[in-house]
Amino acid sequence: MRSRALLLIFILGSLSVGRAQTISTETSGPAPAAWVDDLSAITAADWTRDRAAHLVERAGFGETPDQIARLAAMKPDDVVNRLVAYEAIDNRSVGPFEESGIWDPGMDPFPPSRAETVRIAYERGESLGIKVLPKGTPRRLQPIVDKFFYSLIANGIETQRLGLWWANRMLASKRPLEEKLTLFWHGHFASGENKVRDYRMMLRQNEMFRDRASGNLRTLLVGILKDPAMLVYLDNGENVKSHPNENFGRELLELFTMGVGNYTERDVREAARAFTGWSNDVLVFKFNADLHDAGEKTFLGRTGNFNGEEIIDIILAQPVTAEFVAAKLYRFFVREEISDAVKKELGRTLRESGYELKPLLKRIFLSKDFYSQPSYATQIKSPVHLVVSTYKKMGLREVPTMPDFGRMTGSLGQSLFDPPNVAGWAGGRTWITPATLLQRGNLFREVLFPDVKGFRPPDRAMSATDARVGERLAKGMNITEATREGDAESNMMVDREEDYNTRYGGYKGAIDAFERTKLIPRQQATINLTTMVQAARADTAEKVVDHLVDRFLRVRLAAKDRAVLVEFLRGKLGTNDVRPGETLESALRELLYLVLSTPEYQLG
Amino acid sequence: MAGICSCSRREFLIRGLYGIGVGASLPMVLNRTSAALAAQALEGTSVEKHRDRILVVVELSGGNDGLNTVVPFGDAAYYRARPNLAIPEKQAIKVAAGFGFHPSMVGFERLYKDGLMAVVHGCGYDHPSLSHFSSMGFWHTGVPNGGEPLGWLGRLADAGYDPAVRNTIVNLGSSQSLAVRSRRHAPLVFDDPARFRRDGTDTEKEALVALSQSRTTPNATLEFLAATAQNATESSDFVRQASASYHTPVDYGIGGGVGGNLQRVAALIAAGMRTRLYYVTYAGNSFDTHVQQADLHSRLLMYTADGVRGFLEDMKRIGRADDVAVMMFTEFGRRVEENGSLGTDHGTATPMFLFGKGVKAGLHGQHPSLTDLDDGNMKMTTDFRRVYATVIKEWLGYDDTQAVLKQRFDTLGVFA
Repeated sequence: MRSRALLLIFILGSLSVGRAQTISTETSGPAPAAWVDDLSAITAADWTRDRAAHLVERAGFGETPDQIARLAAMKPDDVVNRLVAYEAIDNRSVGPFEESGIWDPGMDPFPPSRAETVRIAYERGESLGIKVLPKGTPRRLQPIVDKFFYSLIANGIETQRLGLWWANRMLASKRPLEEKLTLFWHGHFASGENKVRDYRMMLRQNEMFRDRASGNLRTLLVGILKDPAMLVYLDNGENVKSHPNENFGRELLELFTMGVGNYTERDVREAARAFTGWSNDVLVFKFNADLHDAGEKTFLGRTGNFNGEEIIDIILAQPVTAEFVAAKLYRFFVREEISDAVKKELGRTLRESGYELKPLLKRIFLSKDFYSQPSYATQIKSPVHLVVSTYKKMGLREVPTMPDFGRMTGSLGQSLFDPPNVAGWAGGRTWITPATLLQRGNLFREVLFPDVKGFRPPDRAMSATDARVGERLAKGMNITEATREGDAESNMMVDREEDYNTRYGGYKGAIDAFERTKLIPRQQATINLTTMVQAARADTAEKVVDHLVDRFLRVRLAAKDRAVLVEFLRGKLGTNDVRPGETLESALRELLYLVLSTPEYQLG
Repeated sequence: MAGICSCSRREFLIRGLYGIGVGASLPMVLNRTSAALAAQALEGTSVEKHRDRILVVVELSGGNDGLNTVVPFGDAAYYRARPNLAIPEKQAIKVAAGFGFHPSMVGFERLYKDGLMAVVHGCGYDHPSLSHFSSMGFWHTGVPNGGEPLGWLGRLADAGYDPAVRNTIVNLGSSQSLAVRSRRHAPLVFDDPARFRRDGTDTEKEALVALSQSRTTPNATLEFLAATAQNATESSDFVRQASASYHTPVDYGIGGGVGGNLQRVAALIAAGMRTRLYYVTYAGNSFDTHVQQADLHSRLLMYTADGVRGFLEDMKRIGRADDVAVMMFTEFGRRVEENGSLGTDHGTATPMFLFGKGVKAGLHGQHPSLTDLDDGNMKMTTDFRRVYATVIKEWLGYDDTQAVLKQRFDTLGVFA
């Protein structure tokens, strides 16, 4: 009797252990139709493993099955509270960005163009902290022009490093929503290093977003409108009393707060006037009172000598503002189409909380609507989310640097710190074309089977032209000969100025930038799918396929597609049994490549 | 016939490309009735009489400064408004009384003098928007200040081209333009032909093809993804091979801007792709010259002119000059007066450009006044949809322009 009891306990025990690791047959099934547009909260009885997986996919970058199981065992209120009120979580494991140190004294303030740099040099006898060489010296401005190109290239490389640092944060942070929101704000208040040309500004902006990501909207708005990167990106330094520049006012109203149709062209111009004199002294906000138009303005029906912050307050007093921002958050976290009723309701939530974002976020993540069918596994993953979440589900702790993260996401249309324009990334179906869809799969093949030999690090990329210059100089040619390229007109333009050679400047700038920036260490993904499937006790082709599908996909596969995968693995192994051996890891990686290339995998 | 793969293989690829005998479902296709609708739509249209004609649309994004592109050097108001930025008369490339091209548009000078280029002055629409996104959206849909979901080229394809024949529309770019969004046609969208492929072993690729079949499912996004995957399967091989086998001695200028993409279009035309509508963008709001316009605009125009000129020369080289026309536009022009940053701000009316053997070369329409302005901006003299109607009817041969543009617009007589 005792041995039978023990046997029973043993069986029950092993069953429960197995449950955590094999496929849970418990599914939530599709949510009731009545949940659509219902903002009331789900209850503990509605909470399932699949819904927990849905939440972490949207509010973060997905999770491993073990983590999801742990969240499923908690109450949904507690899960969402912890997710949103993340300041309580110790996140010291993710460190600050390690700068290479590329800015030298004299480089600030950096001129807006090469033409301007050269003009300053002639006028003052020095520029970028470098003196013009004495009269009679050949190419007396060369060191200055070299420095100009150095700055462009070095900042570009530092920005690549910055992107990698952020990707690692997204992967490893214990506050996934903090990073996801930072990414959202980066797309909403978009500015790009390709114009700003200063990685320090992008870093500070990123830190400001992170700091204010789920706090108060007014604080965030003031933060971004005084942010040097944004001021440069929208040319607000040019917005002065005598010549107000509308760009800033227009983007503020059209893209950041209210949306087209809720203001007039006059409002745009009046807003621009209120922000005159808002500028930056390199890395800090600076208000130039003498350039500020302090006169009377009429904005959205109100009249007064408004300054920028007062304009922000008037904007926030409009009901459409809360609705506009709430709708944008909704589209990012829930689904593309938002009903008028939901928009109004969420706008009300945001307004009534005094523009605190946490109550809005909690409401969204606990709402039945969030778990309703139209919201469920219907979102096309953005390139950054696609890559980070894949790494997360693979159980990686660090972002592999071979293939290069920035190149991967860039090839799919999203480069961190470089949105296509101030409207950010359109998202949704615009991520997908026949070509980008193939590319999404191809990228993961490179992760699983890295081309180590053919890899060219983008942080040391040199154009073919520059490389030729280098080769010729090494052969002993002088600058004029070494930079001769293409037709006569092209050479004339390059060496036209007797005082400097442009092409040489580009080459030398690159060489100096390589020297001064830290090299990104190149490491491929450390995956072990053999261990993964063993831990899951998946010892047949079907079990392996089911495990990978459960782990990676948010949508069920059709039976015939599952059969294709099972057949594929059987074909590769020559048997239905899955046992560790020489060929297993490679076969599993090929199988995973197929899973990650399915149309289903694009959905989150 | 340098480098073209063996004809029978190409024929095979073209068949697969055009899905002959295969009925894949597209998200917006009404399967059973589409064939009937398409047949009905083709009845009475004359697109059949110009069945080989191709239209390439080039979009300059950001709001190209028309005044410094087609320079009205005969108008003193131009020089008063732009003391720093105006192009001096003696620098402009003279093309007609009082008008010249920006000096870096050497490529266009050639085309103009060869009778291959027409300009339509002052194009725009009523109640113009100064927002990039809104205005470009209106040029894309052809329905200004309206909420139209489809593109004008998409609607043209729906009305005039059989949806059973796939890839009527090709859009070069990293995402699909609203201009080509269609109900019944699935535009083929890609940017780099060489990368338009699946990686992996043959077994992997076979499995991927099996996993990428289009399907009907309640999850509309999944249905869209599967249809796109199937499209990719069918098109990628052809596109890649057409591009790889294409070699041209023609100079398209420096690679930036549109030159590279126009060359890709040329490769597809040379390979016999049955696409009729190509869409190419000079993207990234490149023409949005608010600050320090002079040098930047000069480069932008040079790249553009060189690219278009190269493309037309290439069409002549491969014997398709009679069949191909190019239309170039931007979402708005820029303000008459220069701003305080040696640049210009968003404006309204702008010239449109038409290229090809079929055009009546010259400057068409009326240049807007530089003194009778609307809050500092020019008043348009030609609704841009008249130019759309002109290419639809006079070039492509589809008479019912009203069905496509939702309103009646008289054509301009730009095509001989």
